[in-house]
Amino acid sequence: MAAGEDAVGRLRRGSGLRFEQLKGRVFEALLIGATLVGIVSLLVLFGYIVFDAVGPLAASPRWYLLYFGTLVTPTAAFTLYARRRPAVRAANARAFAAVFGGVVLSLAVYAVSDALSPYDVFIYLVFGGGPSVSIAVYARKMNDNTFAGPAVPVSMVIGVAVAAGFYDVLRPIIGTVPRWITYIAITTVPVAAITGWFAAREWTTRRGLLTAGVVVAGGFAVAGGALVSGIDPSFWVVLFSGTVVPVAFVVGSTAATNPEGRIGMLGPFVVIGGGLLGAVVERQFGIAGLDSYLTPTLLLNSWDGLNAANAGVYPQIVGSIIIVAFMGIMAIPVGIGAAVYLEEYAPATGWRGRLASLLEINIANLAGVPSVVYGLLGLALFRNTLGFGTGIVVAASGTLGFLILPIVVVSAQEAIRSVPDSRRRASYGMGASRWQTLREVVLPEAVPGVLTGTILALGRAIGETAPLVIIAVATTTYSAPSGLFSSATALPLQIFASAGNAKPEFRTGVVAATAIVLLALMILMNAIAIVVRNRYQKDD
Amino acid sequence: MSDNDMNEREKTAMTEEQIETEDVSDANRGRVISDSTDEADDVLIETGPTAGLDDDKPSRGTGQTIVESRNIDVWYGDDQALRDVSIAIPENEVTAMIGPSGCGKSTFLRCINRMNDLVDICRVEGELTLGGKDVYDENIDPVALRRRVGMVFQKPNPFPKSSRDNVSYGLNVQGIEGDHDEIVERSLKQAALWEEVKDRLDESGLGLSGGQQQRLCIARAIAVDPEVILMDEPASALDPIATSKIEDLIADLAEEYTVVIVTHNMQQAARISHKTAVFLTGGELVEFGSTQKVFENPDSERVEDYITGKFG
Repeated sequence: MAAGEDAVGRLRRGSGLRFEQLKGRVFEALLIGATLVGIVSLLVLFGYIVFDAVGPLAASPRWYLLYFGTLVTPTAAFTLYARRRPAVRAANARAFAAVFGGVVLSLAVYAVSDALSPYDVFIYLVFGGGPSVSIAVYARKMNDNTFAGPAVPVSMVIGVAVAAGFYDVLRPIIGTVPRWITYIAITTVPVAAITGWFAAREWTTRRGLLTAGVVVAGGFAVAGGALVSGIDPSFWVVLFSGTVVPVAFVVGSTAATNPEGRIGMLGPFVVIGGGLLGAVVERQFGIAGLDSYLTPTLLLNSWDGLNAANAGVYPQIVGSIIIVAFMGIMAIPVGIGAAVYLEEYAPATGWRGRLASLLEINIANLAGVPSVVYGLLGLALFRNTLGFGTGIVVAASGTLGFLILPIVVVSAQEAIRSVPDSRRRASYGMGASRWQTLREVVLPEAVPGVLTGTILALGRAIGETAPLVIIAVATTTYSAPSGLFSSATALPLQIFASAGNAKPEFRTGVVAATAIVLLALMILMNAIAIVVRNRYQKDD
Repeated sequence: MSDNDMNEREKTAMTEEQIETEDVSDANRGRVISDSTDEADDVLIETGPTAGLDDDKPSRGTGQTIVESRNIDVWYGDDQALRDVSIAIPENEVTAMIGPSGCGKSTFLRCINRMNDLVDICRVEGELTLGGKDVYDENIDPVALRRRVGMVFQKPNPFPKSSRDNVSYGLNVQGIEGDHDEIVERSLKQAALWEEVKDRLDESGLGLSGGQQQRLCIARAIAVDPEVILMDEPASALDPIATSKIEDLIADLAEEYTVVIVTHNMQQAARISHKTAVFLTGGELVEFGSTQKVFENPDSERVEDYITGKFG
């Protein structure tokens, strides 16, 4: 009896235990608090920036009511409707991705090609991409990958080198063609090939060819229409190839294959239509709207340091994209290559092993070196040693490339290391060589991790300011860079510079709006990379 | 699969002298099959250390030695893992390696296909021959060696690819011509997995159960038709039912391949092997002989103590 009561007594919530539980609760509350500090400060920061950028106080209550009616209510209703219907939701997501992805991609391609000259893009695309794509397609068709692996990158490099060598001969010849035809060649033709390939895979080769033909004909029709109306067809050709064709393809194929979800494709058009309707009504009735600096003017104009309403950051946006893209082309292969060597090839013992581990430690340390110091490195190397011009794209890309190199190496190393050793042993045990093991087993499994690290590195690079200041990149340029050796500027530099402008509307409104543009660019890059990464993971 | 098929496949992969050996083996096979038709299906019930020891274990052995080591010493850095191991492994039989943990039996297994090369600090001295060729000769390419010596690991380690791609992996990396789908089917049938995966060949091999994964790994190893299959405790991570399937499979494999298996499980060694090698602490090969002899009447007292459970 007594023993039983004792046992119950021990199980009862005693005072000693209660104190322990109290300690646990307090600790948990502290952790929640710590988490909230981060989220709340982020929200406050964004709220502050958005408030400055769009000036919500200037809008009348009628304005809010208008957009609530045209934009918020239909979107909310549509979201609610789609919420419990997975097919509709999936179609909605696809349509959103096609419409907004297409628009953004078209704009970026047009902006960069226009800045670098579409003729140059055409020459390098044909010489670099033509032979390598043909080799890849041929190898796929013949089912023989023995030589395609090395031949594709080699032919790409040779093609680019040949194009560079014969540039002076080719450029005048190509230059006789109207600009819009080169845009058809660099956008419509590849898009036609891709949609044709999809259609051929889905149905028949005949239909594939037909689809490709229709796309090319559509491109010419759009250009013809623009020429007749007396406007430059270039932009419309790009918009047609990059947006209209993919959207039509996605809408068409979803409508055919997913009858329940069909209605979901209205999603993006509800949003766009609501916004446009609101804008039309707003203008028609003269409703007082936002006092926003985040306007088409900001995105399309070049800089005006005296009149905030007229200031634009188009050259800065294009400069940022070109600098970061060229930096990625240079730094990412080098970084991944170094990571693969250190993880898969470098010996662990002997003097070479010690050298490798010394290298590894130093690379890890380099990842923490302040960016200003990399600026000094860039200054010494590109300006003082190589004698490059001040603030040109190559120097900026190179400096930022050095900055992200250790980050790429370390994160790629981690991704490669996370591939279990048992897989490598299985592959070696099957008589695979080191290269085969790497290509067939290690790299496919490491790709998602490598991409994640690379994206983080690109995100860091696009926001870097200090090294660009040190290598004397201009804070403001009035036209987008026309090539790798022309001077450029980047968005963060413009933000830095206009934060010191004498006029208050620059210091608050324009700076905040530019910051939002920069953040949007970064989020966009991350979104693309996340999509690519998820695709790879699904294929496993 | 008929014997004719088998010969066709083997001949393409073998050198002239090996074909001669194969002819001898055919002559032997006929004889051995005739006097050993009783399959040891009931062996799982018995549990003693000598369980499953038949007086005449079915063997198609050719009587030839395929793997032979002479005075092999292995060091990991300054630690000696194997001491002066000399052993002659017979062709087309199952040779088991038993012994307590850390006695070097897995190390010896990995010497045969030079998987130890992947360990930087490992050093091998002595002579180890496969079909009369020294595998540690500097002219020998370990990659080429591993194409003739397949390996199955302790933990099932299929690739994150479809079952089909798992089995055809070796065919692809070794550039073996022929109808891969047919070879995949034949290998999966040999590994007694075909019925379970034939409808989901394109699904990931990682979605299979542990026992199925291990049989997939065995199918992967035999798809390239190696001469020797090394198994490093292939059933230690599996449940009893999966284990018995793997054991049946090993008995079948021994009809066409030389199997060398490391195991912690003495009953398993007794059930499936023709020859047994006992390694004891310190990396010594203490006893090597026919399984029956080693389990019933070992020469060494230490081996007897180990087998009867007094030590180890």
